[in-house]
Amino acid sequence: MTLALKTLVVGLGNPILTDDGVGIHVVRALAVRCRRDDVTFAEASLGGLRLLDLIAGYERVVLVDAIQTRDGKPGDVHRLHPNDLRASLHSGSTHDLSLPGALALGRGMGMKLPDDEAITIIAIEVEDVLTFGEDCTPAVAAAIPRAVEAVLAELGMGRA
Amino acid sequence: MRKISIDPITRLEGHGKIEIFLDEEGNVANAYLVIPELRGFEKFAEGRPVEEMPRITPRICGVCPEAHHMASAKACDAVYHVEVPPTGKKLRELLYSAFYVADHAVHFYILAAPDFVLGPDAPPAERNILGVIHKIGVELGSKIIRWHALGMDIIGMLGGKTIHPVGALPGGVSKAINEEERAEIEAIGHELVEFGQFGLQLFHDVVLENKGYVDMILSEAFTTPMYYMGLVDENNKVNFYDGKVRVVDPEGNEFVKYAPEEYLDVVAEHVEPWTYLKFPYLKKVGWKGFVTGKDSGVYQATPLSRLNAADGMATPRAQEAYEQFYETMGGKPVHNTLAMHWARLIELLYAAERIVELATDPEITDPHVRNIPTETPDEGVGIVEAPRGTLTHHYITDERGIMQKCNLIVGTTNNYAPISISIKKAAQALIKKGQVISEGLLNRVEMAFRAYDPCMACATHTMPGQMPLEVLIRDADGNVVERLTRFVE
Repeated sequence: MTLALKTLVVGLGNPILTDDGVGIHVVRALAVRCRRDDVTFAEASLGGLRLLDLIAGYERVVLVDAIQTRDGKPGDVHRLHPNDLRASLHSGSTHDLSLPGALALGRGMGMKLPDDEAITIIAIEVEDVLTFGEDCTPAVAAAIPRAVEAVLAELGMGRA
Repeated sequence: MRKISIDPITRLEGHGKIEIFLDEEGNVANAYLVIPELRGFEKFAEGRPVEEMPRITPRICGVCPEAHHMASAKACDAVYHVEVPPTGKKLRELLYSAFYVADHAVHFYILAAPDFVLGPDAPPAERNILGVIHKIGVELGSKIIRWHALGMDIIGMLGGKTIHPVGALPGGVSKAINEEERAEIEAIGHELVEFGQFGLQLFHDVVLENKGYVDMILSEAFTTPMYYMGLVDENNKVNFYDGKVRVVDPEGNEFVKYAPEEYLDVVAEHVEPWTYLKFPYLKKVGWKGFVTGKDSGVYQATPLSRLNAADGMATPRAQEAYEQFYETMGGKPVHNTLAMHWARLIELLYAAERIVELATDPEITDPHVRNIPTETPDEGVGIVEAPRGTLTHHYITDERGIMQKCNLIVGTTNNYAPISISIKKAAQALIKKGQVISEGLLNRVEMAFRAYDPCMACATHTMPGQMPLEVLIRDADGNVVERLTRFVE
């Protein structure tokens, strides 16, 4: 992996909606651990076009987000690419494009966006995203260090 | 870690779920859009310093953070009994107008245009923004993206952050603008006026010139006469940021006009046993169920209702468009759900014109943008028009400004009952005596609720035509007799 790629790590989610904010918590923990000129950390609670504006110009993007899947256990950490998201990625928006849709649109419009292979999504399986609260549920909170390690591995800073 | 494909039937993926209940004869008795509700905001807010609310409440919703920011700042002004200096108000309205341009643009071009530009019966795989751009051309598509970004630039300049603005504080805003910034905003404003005019022209050419669409807009299935709500200025012109809330009856006569602090005298909330959602209605008319008309307290708060509730638009080009709208639609008020798209574009033009007006206001660069609160805080209500409807924030604090109680009525909530009614009417046209015309039902039902641009925890955030949608039709005993789905496995 080339380390000098201009990289953006985005924590997606709502930090006051219990587990929905897990991506934000992960990115806040990462920003303390990793200080590199080629890596930028950002937080966002929005998707679609607004997310597109955020990632334009970067060569590599890591999105950290909450996810719920049919058989998932809270705290599971998944590594995905945009193509794995058939219908949409939860990215905070109820009124905008899905991630694959936004990427397709942006590329169609000639925006400078990273390729799908250069976009990784670290998704943490969550439990409660409907109750207001600033703390994650225990199983999800316990997954934060694992998700941090997963992102560091993406950045070539893994322990292994 | 394992690699998975994501199942759309989850909250985070989001899919619209609609329940249609039939009567004994097999006709539609009721229809509801099922919406997961966020819980516990009041409890979350209690015990916090009230001045934190303009920074916290934008987090409630990823769709209209700016609306919560403004309603919250206004509620805080009221809690502290502080008057915002004229330039502080104008800067808030300037930011808010830029937000309206960007937000309405997303709804029209990304969510609504596919139905019109490509046609409601085009294959779902083509009925999306990419299909729209394919049809209108990449050059125009790029312009639309650029105009949206320009609206966001203004928000960034005035709000501090483009995503969750922090610019408004109790008593005003945190920062004034200089001449250089003013000139930049003015230049953007002129471009956005062009954008507003472009949208109306596109609507005219693509929709109004097409008899099929006009017939659909005017059809009984998409017509729901009810009360209409919207914020108006002292001349009864549409205003998004400030003024009084005016409600007109289904004939267009003023029913009530109230100041924010009077909202509890006008609006009450009905509770149904099958959902935690509350259905606001006009107290003095009363809750008569999911029915329309003058005897039912159901009202809507939408771009269409704002136009219906006002006497006109405060800017010249938008006023011209307003007059043309009512002339074409056959007078006021307009009851056609799909005309909401046209109304939204008129509002977009107004917001763009308002940006230019405010950016050229001689006071706009005045450095006095905030009065520091000095009074003892107690209670206050702030109201703005969110793009999706009248937004009310009501805070009660102790004498230190610590929140004791808070109540919010958010934009889409106003429209829960009208959305259900619109879905019911669209379904009635396609379900008769137990016979379901499956073909077209999903699209028509989706068009009925998409017009409202509902903001809910999950239901509408995927690409049009690809939104997982599930319709359950139940007989009089509650058994599912038919299940129609799209993109749901």
